[in-house]
Amino acid sequence: MKLSIAAKKKREAYIFILPGFLYLLIVCGYPLIYNVVLSFKNMNVKNMATGTSVFVGLENYKTLFADPTFQMVFKNTIIFTLACLAIQFTIGFMFAMFFSKKFTLAGPVRGLILVGYMMPMSVTALLGKNLFLLDGGVINDLLMKLHLVSQPVDWLVSGGTALAAVIAVNCWVGIPFNMLLLTSGLTGISDDIYESASIDGANRFQRFLYITLPLMKPAMLSVLMLGFIYTFKAFDLMYIMTSGGPYNSTDVLGTYAYSKAFTQYEFSQGSAIAMVLFVCLFLVGLFYLKLLSKEDD
Amino acid sequence: MSNENVRPVKKHYLQTKEGRRNVINCVVAVLIAIFFLFPIYWLIQMSFKTDMESFGKIVTYYPHEFTIDPWLQNLQDADFLTSLRNSVLIAFCAMLISLLFGVPAAYGMGRYQVKGTKSFMLTFLVTQMLPASVMLTPMYLTFTKLHLLGTYWAPAIAVASGSVPFIVVTLRPYFKSIPVSLDEAARIDGCGVFRSFFKIMIPTIKTGIITVVVISFLNGWNDLIYSMTFNVDADMRPLTANIRKFQSKYGTKWNCIMAYGAILVIPVILAFIFLQKYIVGGLTAGAVKE
Repeated sequence: MKLSIAAKKKREAYIFILPGFLYLLIVCGYPLIYNVVLSFKNMNVKNMATGTSVFVGLENYKTLFADPTFQMVFKNTIIFTLACLAIQFTIGFMFAMFFSKKFTLAGPVRGLILVGYMMPMSVTALLGKNLFLLDGGVINDLLMKLHLVSQPVDWLVSGGTALAAVIAVNCWVGIPFNMLLLTSGLTGISDDIYESASIDGANRFQRFLYITLPLMKPAMLSVLMLGFIYTFKAFDLMYIMTSGGPYNSTDVLGTYAYSKAFTQYEFSQGSAIAMVLFVCLFLVGLFYLKLLSKEDD
Repeated sequence: MSNENVRPVKKHYLQTKEGRRNVINCVVAVLIAIFFLFPIYWLIQMSFKTDMESFGKIVTYYPHEFTIDPWLQNLQDADFLTSLRNSVLIAFCAMLISLLFGVPAAYGMGRYQVKGTKSFMLTFLVTQMLPASVMLTPMYLTFTKLHLLGTYWAPAIAVASGSVPFIVVTLRPYFKSIPVSLDEAARIDGCGVFRSFFKIMIPTIKTGIITVVVISFLNGWNDLIYSMTFNVDADMRPLTANIRKFQSKYGTKWNCIMAYGAILVIPVILAFIFLQKYIVGGLTAGAVKE
C-alpha cells in the first residue's frame, strides 16, 4: 500500500505525538475521572479490601461543607494564596524592573537568587522551621537585636503567626519565580518605545504607567494565574514545616485532602476535598488557557 | 583666563553618572542576593556546627567550632544511604519516562501541522495544572491493583505526568525554530524520520535537551507527596519522604537535620553552577507560554 506524502507525514506526526498524549490520558485523565467517581462513593480502608463501597451521592460534599474544619481550611487556602500572590507579585515585579536595567551584576545576581526556587520544597520547609524557632531561631534573634520585639515570638505555635511564617517562606520561593517570568516580559519591550516617549516628554512614572503596564498586561496576567495555580495547590511546605498545625491553622486543601485520605483512610472524603481544589484551579486555569490561545493567534 | 591650556582631566569612574549608577545598582543587587541566599547559607553553616552549638539558645552566625560530624553521621547511616539510593533511582526513572514520552511529543507538535494540535496542546497544559491531591487516591488504588505500590516506578510514573507536559511546552519552540531545510537535506541524504530525529534534531537543540533532562531529574529528586504515599515502607522512600523520620531520629540535633537537607540541595546547586543559563532560559520558556 502506498501512502501519499501528506498521509505519510500525518502518520509520522502521530507516531511522535500519540505515546505522550496517551501517557497523559492514562496517568492524568483516568485518575481524574476515577477521583470524581470516588468522591460520590463511601470508600474507606475497610470497604476497599472487601470491595463493598457504594455510591452515596452528594453525601461527602454535604459532610464537607458542614464541616467547620473544612471551612477553616478553605479560608486558610484563600488567605495563603492571596497573601502570597500579592507579596510575590509586587516584589517580583519590582525586582524584574530592577534587574532589567543594565549593570554589571544584573545577570549573575538574577540567576543566583533563583536557587531557592529550584530547591526541594521539603528542604525549604525544614529550613523555615529552623529559622522561625522560638529559641535559637535566627529570625527571633534578629528581631530582638533590632529591638523590634521585646520577647522571642513563638511563631509556629500560635495560629496567626504560623500562617504568616508559612506565607513568608513561600514568598521566598515565589518572588524569584515571579521575577524570572516578568523579566522575560520586560526585556521584550523595545528600548525605542521608551526613548521616543522620553523625547515626547514623558517622565519616568508616565512611561511606567502608559508603556510598561499596558505592554506587560498579558505577561502579568499569566504570571498571576500561574502563581495562583502553584500556590493554591501547596502541600510540601505545610506538611513538613507545620504539619498543618497548630489546630489546622496552616492546613490547606492539599494537606487536608491528604490527611483525610491517607491518615484517616477515608478515601472518598479525601477525593471530595481534592475535587474542590481541582474545580478552583480549573476555573482559573480556563482563563489562563484563554489568554494563551489569544496570544497564539 | 583661558582654559585652552588646561589638560582635560580624565574623570574617575565614580565621578561619571553611569559609573555611580552602576555602583549603586550593584550594591542594591548584592543586598538582595544576601537576603535571598541567607537561608541557604544558614542551612550550610548549621550543618558544620557541633550538637551543642546548633541547639544553644544563643544564636551563632557561623560555626565557632567547625565540625564535619553532622555530615558523617548522615553518610555513615545505613538508612540514610538507602534513602539516598532511592532518591537517585526514583529521579532517574522519572527522568527516563518523562524524556521517552515528552521529547517525541514535543517534536511531533513542533514540526508537523496536524489536525488537533491545539487540543493536544490544551491537554498538555491542563495536565500541568492538576494538583497531586486529585491523582493521589485513584493512583494509590490503581497501583495497589497493579502491584506497583512500593516500587520505584509508582512515584516515577506519577512525577513524569508533571514533567511530560513541561517538556512538551518547553521543547516545542526549540523544535519549531529548526529550519525546515535541515530535515529536507537529511531526507535527501536518505536519512529516515527516526534517524533524523536522533542524529540531527536532538543534537541541534542540545541546550533545550539539557534543560529538560536536568529539570525532569530534579522533579523526581524533589518529589515528596507521591513517594511518601506510594512507598509506605521507609526502605523504599527517598530522602525527601524520610525527612520526618530523620527529624524524629535526630530530635533537636539541628546540625544533623541541616546536613541532611544540605545533601538534598547538592544536585540543585550543581545544576545551577554548571547549567545556569540553560535552565533559566528553559524555565522562562516553559512557564510563560508555549
